Amino acid sequence: MTSPVLTVDGLTVRFGGLTALDRLQFELSAGDFVGLIGPNGSGKTTFFNALTGIYTPASGNVVLSGEDITGLPPQKIYDVGITRTFQRLRLAPTLSVFDNLMIGNHRNLDHGIVANLFRRKRLKLEIEDNVEKSRLLLEQFSAPLASRLFDPVSQLTMIDRRRVEVCRALISEPGILLLDEPSAGMTHEETRELMDDLLASRERMPGLAIVLIEHEMGVIERVTDRCVVLNYGEKIAEGSYQEVARDSDVRAAYLGDD
Amino acid sequence: MDPGFIAQYLLNGIVLGVIYAMVAVGFTLFFGVLDVIKFSHGDVVMAGAFTALATYAGLEYLGVGDGAIAAIVITVMGIAAMAALGAVLAKLLILPLRDAPPLNTLLITLMFGLALRESVRLFYPNGSNPKPFPQLLPDAAMTIGNLELRLDSVLLIVLGLGAIVAVHLMIQRSRIGLAIRAVAQDPETARLMGINFERVVLMTFALGSALAALAGITNGLYYSEVNFGMGLLLGVIGFSAAVVGGLGSLYGAIIGGFLFAALQTIGAVWFSVPAYKDVFAFACIIVLMAWKPTGLLADKSAERV
Amino acid sequence: MKSERRSFWPVVVTALSAALFVLLFLYLEHEWEIALLAVGLVAVLFCSARFGLLARVETAASDHPRTTILVNVVSALLVIVFLREEHFALLMLATVFLYITICLGLTLQFGYAGIVNFAGIAFFGIGSYTAAVLAVHSPLPHLLVILVSGLVAGLIGSLLILPMLRTRGHYAALVTIAFGILFRTFLEVNDLLGGPQGLKVPGMQLFGWSLNDNISLGPLGMISFYASYAVISLLLAAGAYTLIKRLERSWLGLNLDAVRTDETAAASFGIDLPRWKIFAFTAGNCLAGVAGGVYAMMSGFIAPASFNFGDSLLLVSIVLLGGSGNPLGVLPAALLVVVLPEKLQIIQEYRLLLFAVLVILILRFRPEGLLPRRIREYYAGWGRS
Repeated sequence: MTSPVLTVDGLTVRFGGLTALDRLQFELSAGDFVGLIGPNGSGKTTFFNALTGIYTPASGNVVLSGEDITGLPPQKIYDVGITRTFQRLRLAPTLSVFDNLMIGNHRNLDHGIVANLFRRKRLKLEIEDNVEKSRLLLEQFSAPLASRLFDPVSQLTMIDRRRVEVCRALISEPGILLLDEPSAGMTHEETRELMDDLLASRERMPGLAIVLIEHEMGVIERVTDRCVVLNYGEKIAEGSYQEVARDSDVRAAYLGDD
Repeated sequence: MDPGFIAQYLLNGIVLGVIYAMVAVGFTLFFGVLDVIKFSHGDVVMAGAFTALATYAGLEYLGVGDGAIAAIVITVMGIAAMAALGAVLAKLLILPLRDAPPLNTLLITLMFGLALRESVRLFYPNGSNPKPFPQLLPDAAMTIGNLELRLDSVLLIVLGLGAIVAVHLMIQRSRIGLAIRAVAQDPETARLMGINFERVVLMTFALGSALAALAGITNGLYYSEVNFGMGLLLGVIGFSAAVVGGLGSLYGAIIGGFLFAALQTIGAVWFSVPAYKDVFAFACIIVLMAWKPTGLLADKSAERV
Repeated sequence: MKSERRSFWPVVVTALSAALFVLLFLYLEHEWEIALLAVGLVAVLFCSARFGLLARVETAASDHPRTTILVNVVSALLVIVFLREEHFALLMLATVFLYITICLGLTLQFGYAGIVNFAGIAFFGIGSYTAAVLAVHSPLPHLLVILVSGLVAGLIGSLLILPMLRTRGHYAALVTIAFGILFRTFLEVNDLLGGPQGLKVPGMQLFGWSLNDNISLGPLGMISFYASYAVISLLLAAGAYTLIKRLERSWLGLNLDAVRTDETAAASFGIDLPRWKIFAFTAGNCLAGVAGGVYAMMSGFIAPASFNFGDSLLLVSIVLLGGSGNPLGVLPAALLVVVLPEKLQIIQEYRLLLFAVLVILILRFRPEGLLPRRIREYYAGWGRS
């Protein structure tokens, strides 16, 4: 196994008296595809939020390739190559698909005032390059969607919006991608398609590690290398899907004690 | 410094604090229930005072005259009128904008306040000038050293505090208060539990506006004068008091109201130019807000990520 | 990438029609004519928005940005030439251009970055007072004075925004409302700045030529001195419009939109929220300050009474009526809000009430305003290749 890219050590998040995440221990290596599962409220999204700087951890630390990134603001987390999607879709519906993707591409764009206001020819070239880049990425998920690059997101179906959100997280070529229930609201068929496209994209981005929060076990079984199971903020199991599905603690968490 | 002098300022500050607290409680109620900043609130205070004034003019015309009865009648009229206005406002302007960006509600209520202000200025007889407010409270005063303890000040403080306590008890103990709190915490679940969301919203706005009317009448009785622009500054003060205390928290609004009054009083004593007391008080509030953005007590802010 | 540009002629037609309209609006005297014209304008705008005509014009303009500005400036100059002897009409026109400048700044703050500013006239006033003081007490050439007026307004604004950065939307509203209300009070108690009586401001002097002199054309008549100010205000508004448009059609505009629509998502993708909020707020206030400087010199005299909270609300009304987020909407809205009460004396007294009610109706029934905002078009021929 390759040396871990991300090391989470004893990460704890508290809200007043409630411990939402309890001393999480977790390692991620380049190229991993890890499923994060557990009943509702078990701390999965909390983990993502703590990792990406939206929540401040009470204790513990997170190290990325030797660099301590614990408690850094969301902007810095993005800069070191960790991107995400949101459980509650967070796109800008009045903006175009291209605009939304470019928000995700922030660190590759030139934001200088002079460059943007006065060097218009150069800006146009940069924009054209990015249009091409966006098209190519979207085509990996849906060719019709790619042709709607300039349409406002409000005119898209739910599944296309989910695709746009995933592409927004991929366009900056991150090292780690966090997916928070990307298939919510989709049929089995649509979910299967999304996952296939995601796996195909991953081929083009060697080294990309993905953490996937998902409720559909069939998906987890099919696409992930291993799973981490949370319950009441604690990690109760880790291993391949088969191993984890047989674990008695996991069964108790989902089905209740006998 | 002369204790009587201090006591005078203190008393004045307390009356102001009661008035501000009443306005701030309204803001916090609206925010709590609907996440709405109703910027017309200050102007409702003014409209309440003017309704009372108009009622008084009517009573005078009918020859019913002065005293406690007149005071009660105009107060009831002011409160009832503003409660109705609050409910109508909620129904026509606020509820329909529920799904729009929150700034839209702020803007529409701000404009409504402007419209109310201008309407009074333009359509109330001689509205652009300050109008004397009837002296309906007993004139008696006790003099202790340098302090003139006016009976009406005491009455107003008792009345104002009583109103706030009554609102507090109602929210905490009554069924409708329970409904209001339920809707404030979780509108979806409240609906599922059979609570009529719209009715609760209308009631809350009526309640807040009634309190505003009381604040306006208190103001009028204390200063013996009202003018069409009095609501603007009162509204901003009430709002900042609610914000500093923590939007959504009743106690916060009360604390904020008294805090602002205290700051204004300190400013009045400190600066020779009276206008600076407001600048001073606002500057302190802004610093406080920068230090504690969610308010001194908890602010009702829950954003699911 | 080949791009297909729309024909330019809709822009020319629209610019000339607009010029004709403005001319009539400023020239006509009878109240019923004015009222009819105003209603006609709103109806035309509404219908063209409805039936796609407006979209065609805006696309054509988007495809030819430089020529569009040029044609519009020339059309406006034609109007000024026509009105060369009319002092009051030119004064109104100049005021409209200055208000357009401030409101473009407000569009940047509110329409793009989502920061509501209820102290617009206060920053305008800061610019005016700075110009008044500098023009009298410093040797700076007047062009520089105007520039510094803008910078001072921007600086004070950036101080004001600091507490706003850690707080949420309505707190920003509160701070600017408080500032907007107290600005006039502050001026009135400050004798250093002239107190309630105000300050006299010398007329603008550019390269030795005094703008406050009428220009005599001998037997051909004369050009009112207000024409010079109208031209300056026009150039200022045109410059502001170009900058705002370019900003919107760039990554900068995208960042601002991201900040406005969803701060959490924006932060999660690296956007430095304080940086962009300060940028938008300061830049917008600079525009207001520069406009204020020109206004001071044009008026010759400024007093606290000109900088009321009600005027700040009128500015916000212009932005909302025109359609926040579409700078083009500011133009007709500013014209109506500034000129209509002057021409229709009946409504002069009622103007705050009237526009408040209009804004209430707009927010309730057509929140996107007269001219809705379009999808961002980064360059000419966007989306069509």
